[in-house]
Amino acid sequence: MTFQALYTLTDLRVILRETAPHHALDETRRIQAQRLLENLERQVVSLKQEMLK
Amino acid sequence: MRCGAGIEARQVNELFINIDPIQAGGRLTADAMKAVIAYGDGYSVCDNCRKPNRLDHISKPPIAEFHRDVAGWLNMDAVRTVPGARRGFQAVANTYVKKGDPVLLTSLSHYTEFLAIEGTGGVVREIPQDANHTITADATATKIEEVRREFGRVPVLAFIDHVDYQYGNMHDVKAIAKVAHQYDIPVLYNGAYTVGILPVDGKDLGVDFVVGSGHKSMAAPAPSGVLAATNERAGEVFRTTAIEGDVTKRKFGIKEPEMMGCTLMGATLVGMMASFPHVKERVKHFERELQNNRMVLEALLTVSGTKILSEYPRNHTLTRVDTVASFDTVAESHKKRGFYFSSALEEKGIVGVIPGATKVWKFNTYGSTPHQASYLADAFVTIAKENDLSLTP
Repeated sequence: MTFQALYTLTDLRVILRETAPHHALDETRRIQAQRLLENLERQVVSLKQEMLK
Repeated sequence: MRCGAGIEARQVNELFINIDPIQAGGRLTADAMKAVIAYGDGYSVCDNCRKPNRLDHISKPPIAEFHRDVAGWLNMDAVRTVPGARRGFQAVANTYVKKGDPVLLTSLSHYTEFLAIEGTGGVVREIPQDANHTITADATATKIEEVRREFGRVPVLAFIDHVDYQYGNMHDVKAIAKVAHQYDIPVLYNGAYTVGILPVDGKDLGVDFVVGSGHKSMAAPAPSGVLAATNERAGEVFRTTAIEGDVTKRKFGIKEPEMMGCTLMGATLVGMMASFPHVKERVKHFERELQNNRMVLEALLTVSGTKILSEYPRNHTLTRVDTVASFDTVAESHKKRGFYFSSALEEKGIVGVIPGATKVWKFNTYGSTPHQASYLADAFVTIAKENDLSLTP
């Protein structure tokens, strides 16, 4: 789970690289970023459940 | 934000378009970044090292398979990973060059090629570049004859850069290697700017060794690289140890002296491996990179007085330009002097041009998206307009 969240952040990092310097996301990248951020939220929830149980 | 005491987190490639000439091809892929996260610990690839205990024999992670794949991809017979192209030069130089031996480099060779020869006590002789800043087969033949007259024998080795670091020009390695082989001189192909950037076929080029740089052109962490050899040469440069301790009688199996045993033992290697499928794919689409480069150069050439010093049209994205008669004329009276140019670029989110450089400078568009290339092209023209430089339509 730790790696999943880090890897999702890595995918977001690559979007930042590909859209530097202004990070204006086109529709495709916006959808991709949205999906990644939603995954990240789920992964953080799972991490909380696992580590703080 | 810091990632350790006094160490700022580096965000150059997240915040800017980076056109640094040596950094473009080494930016990590997402998979390489993920591999670095997982394999950052020191001996991280050694968990499953079993007899015969050598890096290129490890099957989990699939290091042995990676070595075979890289050899096939380069159309060579054997490959080792090395800590940077320079260590590949060094291994080959150590194998073939003895004190006083003449070695052929070129007038565009990288300094690490000189140092590799210096370390052996060899003597460098440079093939001169022609007026177009290229190294030709004819010049190679002439230089070999000069060396023969000077030393009474031909060079013991030749290092030839396919694309040089100064102009990013492409040199006819195939023809040069043919000439060198007529004199039985082994040829090392320096692919620091090509292996991982465009297709490389060692057998077709007719070279004895192919050296590539992981951190320069294979989207890998530094220091990393590859040294490939033909079967004929592999037994020489990758010879195994024969040494024995006099007291302990210890021997060291199949370790290779020129590799100092194992080479890349962690994040560098796995980073290079993780990028490799992407690298294999991207070399097939180098034309797209040239299109992006062309877009930027065409914009730069609209700024009156700008010259492209590299061969043109371009065969590589690393390009050297002369802006003495354009951007440099502003530096004379600008309050920031020559620093106005890199400063203006940075304000527009572009880095990688040496601060203060306005006369002759290099940049590399490799890896930029078409949108970023277009933005870069516009930025150069905008800076020219902002500083009242004349533009040609």
